[in-house]
Amino acid sequence: MAAKGIDHVVGAACSEPELTTNGYIQHHLTNLTYGKLPYESEVWHCNKESQVWDMPTIIPADTWTFAHGATEAADMGFWAFNVDSIGWSIFLGALFLGLFKWAIPTNSDTPSGLQNFVEMCIEFVDDNVQSLFGATNNKLIAPLALTVFVWILFMNLMDLIPVDFIPELAKYLGIEYFKVVPTTDPNVTLGMALAIVVLTIYYSIKIKGLKAFVAELTLHPFGKWLMPVNFVLEMVNFIAKPISLGLRLFGNLYAGEMIFILIALMLFFNSALIGMLGIGLHLVWALFHILIVALQAFIFMALTIAYLAMAHETEEH
Amino acid sequence: MNINATLLAQAIVFIIFVVICMKYVYPQILAVMQEREKRISDGLEAAKKADDSLEEAKLAFDKELNQAKEEAADILKKANTRASQIVADASTKAETEAEKIMTSASVSIESETNRAKEDLRQQMSDIIIDTTEKILGDEISSEKHDDILKKAAKEL
Repeated sequence: MAAKGIDHVVGAACSEPELTTNGYIQHHLTNLTYGKLPYESEVWHCNKESQVWDMPTIIPADTWTFAHGATEAADMGFWAFNVDSIGWSIFLGALFLGLFKWAIPTNSDTPSGLQNFVEMCIEFVDDNVQSLFGATNNKLIAPLALTVFVWILFMNLMDLIPVDFIPELAKYLGIEYFKVVPTTDPNVTLGMALAIVVLTIYYSIKIKGLKAFVAELTLHPFGKWLMPVNFVLEMVNFIAKPISLGLRLFGNLYAGEMIFILIALMLFFNSALIGMLGIGLHLVWALFHILIVALQAFIFMALTIAYLAMAHETEEH
Repeated sequence: MNINATLLAQAIVFIIFVVICMKYVYPQILAVMQEREKRISDGLEAAKKADDSLEEAKLAFDKELNQAKEEAADILKKANTRASQIVADASTKAETEAEKIMTSASVSIESETNRAKEDLRQQMSDIIIDTTEKILGDEISSEKHDDILKKAAKEL
């Protein structure tokens, strides 16, 4: 473990973090982070034999490495990557594209199960695009909405895999931290929101023209004499959209994951009754969570379409 | 749970995936779906056309059937007429034949009767002469009393 935290005192007792409730939760909420550990960072090691903290190692120079814990990851600053989040999100995105590509048959007269699923998704997304966006020759909107919906759905569905399965497996392979649900990482959800903001700005300028876009941001709601006030208000509005978009998804999935972790903790109590209750609760929460998983994917998609539709609106409001 | 460069990486990955989806996945699936949709609507249209032509064929069939029935009835009627005519002809012919046979039979019976009568007369006269000869001796000869004998025979 590494930290400048209060519980790190040389010679003080330390224990395997997973063996305490707090440690277990912390462990499940820590990403596998790769980044640059800056010069003079302290790296703390728990001596496994004596169970006390050894003297911390001082990093002699800037080093690119995997973080051993949340504090080290924080020390790395902005230029660090959550390898697990990115890895799973790329894997699931590729799975989505591969699955959909693979599902396109040569003979399409009798669609099989997978093709039906794919076509159902496409029709669902297409319906939503039609109703929220209207008829359009924009070739991007529907594939964008499809990608958002299915990709986020897949990422959210990772939440239904019991919380310890994959991290424990990873531990055998020597990977200390491994979060499997990319959407419980705010970087992922805000990253997607960021991409959508970029697209929104791009289409606003492309469709309305730069002048009209700037006018939209500065001439409402109070007219041209209060331009700065208008700009501040519109900017708040403009920035709030993607942030709320990203944080909504993150918050829902993070909370869901947290509850799974807490329920999983019930199995650690030395009581068969609480253990059984935990299993029952796990089932109930998983069933309920399926709803959240699909709903959040849908909401993200619907809002993405709505924001892009706004970017395409040319009339004054 | 820090905000770090993962954000940028995810944004870039997201855009790449969207572009791949837009270029290589979505249009293909949509094309397949639209093609099938077209094929189905074409098929339905063809089915409707086939239905219509079936209806037409049924009408034509009914018409032909009725015609055939009429013809059959006609033929039947003709055949019946012909048959009764044949029967009538045959019975007429038979009647004539029968009459003819009856006539010829009665003619031959008459002639037969006459011949028999003649025979009987002859034999009778012979017997009478014989008998008379025997009674009267040679006084009476058939040559001498031929007239008398014939008269007698006629009375028999």
